[in-house]
Amino acid sequence: MEYLASDKIAIVDLATRDISEDELDEDLVLDKIGGAAITRHLYDTYESAQSNDNGPIVLGTGLLTGTLVPGASLGVMTAKSPSTGKISHVPLNLDAGMELKYSGFDYIVIKGKADKPVYLWVHDGILDINDADDLWGKDTWTATDHLRSEMGDDLIQVLSIGEAGEKVSDLAQVGINYWQSPDRLGFGKLFGLKNLKLIAIRGMGLLEISEPEAFVEDCAEVIAAIRSNPASQKQGIAAAAAALGEEDLGDWLGPLTHRHMACFNTPVATNTFIFTDEDPTLLKESTAAEPGFLLTDIAPLVSLKNAGLSAKDAGMVLKACAKYGIDGAAVAELTAKSGLTDPGEIEKTFPDLKGPVESAGNSIFSPWAAIGQDINGNWERRQAVAYILGLHPVWFQMATEISDEKLLDLAGLGTEMEFTLDTLNEVIEDILA
Amino acid sequence: MGIQIDALKCIACMACELACGYHRDDAFALLSSCIVPYRGREKKNYVGVILKEEDSLVAARPEGVEINRIGEEQDPEKEADASAKPMLLRESCDLCDDMENGPLCIAFCPTNAISMA
Repeated sequence: MEYLASDKIAIVDLATRDISEDELDEDLVLDKIGGAAITRHLYDTYESAQSNDNGPIVLGTGLLTGTLVPGASLGVMTAKSPSTGKISHVPLNLDAGMELKYSGFDYIVIKGKADKPVYLWVHDGILDINDADDLWGKDTWTATDHLRSEMGDDLIQVLSIGEAGEKVSDLAQVGINYWQSPDRLGFGKLFGLKNLKLIAIRGMGLLEISEPEAFVEDCAEVIAAIRSNPASQKQGIAAAAAALGEEDLGDWLGPLTHRHMACFNTPVATNTFIFTDEDPTLLKESTAAEPGFLLTDIAPLVSLKNAGLSAKDAGMVLKACAKYGIDGAAVAELTAKSGLTDPGEIEKTFPDLKGPVESAGNSIFSPWAAIGQDINGNWERRQAVAYILGLHPVWFQMATEISDEKLLDLAGLGTEMEFTLDTLNEVIEDILA
Repeated sequence: MGIQIDALKCIACMACELACGYHRDDAFALLSSCIVPYRGREKKNYVGVILKEEDSLVAARPEGVEINRIGEEQDPEKEADASAKPMLLRESCDLCDDMENGPLCIAFCPTNAISMA
């Protein structure tokens, strides 16, 4: 695969510590396009009925991830969800998908169980399995700080588990850096079962484009159309919630809002940083070590608000969830049932919390982007397009300016390959089956 | 004529950095861009944009723009960003003078945080 790809698939066996590599076959791309369709294909290829490791975890990116196509931020993690029992897909948000795209690997298959804690270090077309003795037992924040400090690079994206994952809780979440991730499906438990503490990713590669000028010109037209839509100028998690039909959280979050932050090349910032221990109007760099928390998931906010928590207390709860590596939406759902409202008391319940939880949904896609959506309608198809081509799943629900046909045109310009709507529909039908 | 950046409008999406990288490499890459949102203070949410011009390094910070003349000694008490990229080794902004649609960072910024001064 010459264009928009690194042409490399890594197969990692944690049990034997063997790492092998395959090329990304153009026929596979013509057949599956990319993203979740190829991670699912690799899952099926490397699943072993004899293994006792709960199946492989497959990481990948969409065909257009990391390009100038607006919203092209998505990485994807595919595995069998401990929450739903389905082979499912969780998006990698913030900059994790982009860093993976530029890491020198298109897809990474992780199979087997390590005999002691390990982490993966993915960069520059190199993948290492390293001992994680000094990381195991650390919360996600401490582990991320430790790893970045050791490597001397604060831009490394860290997919890690905390105590919940290490203790193989069904509600364990794979966090991204310091924040809650879209993992609502218990993939943190799968990391724990494999003795996999974290995956560190840094991308400094280059993606060739088949027809660069035409590709970039088309991307510029799309972003111009998006910019001309006033609805696209509303930034932040509260605005995203409102745009998707959920109640507007703006008045509740407003007094704590510091700034809104976007995932890679996503025109609308669906994340909002709140300052819980600092003046939110501060412009200079805070002297506090941990002034606040980045809110990345709408559902737990809505649940905690409805349970009667203040925005500050909700932020404190979600920060504790992120450090412990437990799904905030599940915690919020169970907290509402318990009637607790004190963040400290809620945090004390983490070790004993158990599912099942409704917040895991019943789709093969993370319910992270299901806010206000009828998942039995067009939602799953739209999500499938995002997960295959590499678009931000929350933003893509709002982005009416970008059609499937335009995305396939861009895929063709980028790769010198032809993708038809019939092909896309077949691929979607296949992964939804 | 030059690039003007309003750091408070920036949502750190990196579209400018990627567009600039394309201008340099005719491919998608991030290592040669002369405009870069800095993301290294993640826990503090301290985000701005650095631009390398011919004679200066412009740091558009939330609290204001700081212009450092290239070659002049910097304040040794200022903490260096552990992940700072070697901006001084990169080519200076040429306003994408070989491109019809003007500076690509402006064309691709979704929030109009970048404009021509």
